[in-house]
Amino acid sequence: MVNKKSLHIESSGQLCIYCGACVGICPLNCIYLDETRITFDERVCTRCEICVKACPVGAIEIG
Amino acid sequence: MVQNLKTDVLVIGAGPAGSMTAKWAAKNGARVLMIEKRQEIGSPVRCGEGMSKSWLPEVGITPGAWVNLEVEGARIFSPREQVFEINEKHAGNEVGYVVERDGFDKALAIDAANAGTEIRLKTAATGILKEGGRVAGARVKQFGEPFEIRATVTIGADGFESQVGRWAGLPTNIALRDMDTCLQYRMTNVDCDTRYCDFYLGEVAPGGYVWVFPKADGLANVGIGVQLSKVRGMADPRTYLDAWIAKHPAYSKGKTIDVVGGGVSISQPVKQSVTDGLMLVGDAARMIDPLTGGGIANGCIAGKICGEVAAQAVHAGDPSRAFLDRYEKGWRAKLEEKLYRNWYAKEKLCTLSDATFDKIIDALQGVRLEKLSVHNILKAVHDKYPDVTKEFEAFL
Repeated sequence: MVNKKSLHIESSGQLCIYCGACVGICPLNCIYLDETRITFDERVCTRCEICVKACPVGAIEIG
Repeated sequence: MVQNLKTDVLVIGAGPAGSMTAKWAAKNGARVLMIEKRQEIGSPVRCGEGMSKSWLPEVGITPGAWVNLEVEGARIFSPREQVFEINEKHAGNEVGYVVERDGFDKALAIDAANAGTEIRLKTAATGILKEGGRVAGARVKQFGEPFEIRATVTIGADGFESQVGRWAGLPTNIALRDMDTCLQYRMTNVDCDTRYCDFYLGEVAPGGYVWVFPKADGLANVGIGVQLSKVRGMADPRTYLDAWIAKHPAYSKGKTIDVVGGGVSISQPVKQSVTDGLMLVGDAARMIDPLTGGGIANGCIAGKICGEVAAQAVHAGDPSRAFLDRYEKGWRAKLEEKLYRNWYAKEKLCTLSDATFDKIIDALQGVRLEKLSVHNILKAVHDKYPDVTKEFEAFL
């Protein structure tokens, strides 16, 4: 079992503006945008943190 | 149970590139179905709304109510905020209109519908169908109900976050230095010159620029793009944009009525835009101009070719990659040289310091350029600051 850092996408609307920047840049195509819901595939994500950089409003955190 | 569908051409995504493709495929006699995952075409807007206009006639777009403002030119501001003005004639119409993007997208969709395209909203593609090794349509969900749409030719016009190209194995991934993360406020009660679209270069927006595109009635789109490879913290675009606005009283006195964000590719175009049964068009094919970040014109120009080739493939009963290659060749002949040239220019500009930007704009003060070209600009800079142009010898 690989111990991965936790990734949190704040997509309840407090920060996220559903722009899709994270979806487009994800090199593994594991982030999904469904109008007002963003999800990611925990199993595929390698925590490369590119989406954290891509988010213009800082709605993605890795801890 | 929703019934599965069959069509000649399936267009995934009803942005400008999708609607143009749909329109020209339908005009050329194909049965076209265009699907859009959103509930409203063109909304929410993800765009700075500045647009050139010289290309509109060749793709059959007539300006309509979506034109908010016609500008005379562009102004480039150095970090010291010296100005270099590019009027419309010299700018090669790089700017022309500030538009209501939601209205523009709807107008193009209406054109497509008038040409015979069927449109379904709230219909998202969830995967592609394959048949005998070729793409043969898509699995979709309309209002949450899953079904299949079989098509002779499938078009991926699904924008920056394109899934279709990835599902088909086309190389759409982009590097960090080839993407800008963008944020824009639509502001009211600002003081801006409605004759110009303004661009601010330098450390105010690392690897990108701050833009102010004026709109009628005291409104303006004030936005920023920051190159991903230069992002240092979380929410950099917001941090930089807020800092820039705070330093500019003409804008800090304004009120924000809309927040727009998004990713913009500033990459080379895709190496391959077609495969058996499938074509990619617009932002999905990385056709955005890497220097300006503008994607509408290229998406529409390629969309027309894409639609025409789609119809030809339907009539020929041949959606093979070899046949669809005429689209690949067609759009590359029109767009590719400039896309590569501007990509190299972007790569260079991203490395310049504020001091160098200041010298370049300073050198252009009072210079009357016969024609706006990289060569002429560099020549003018060379006359005043020969040391600066050393870095640009490749362009001279």
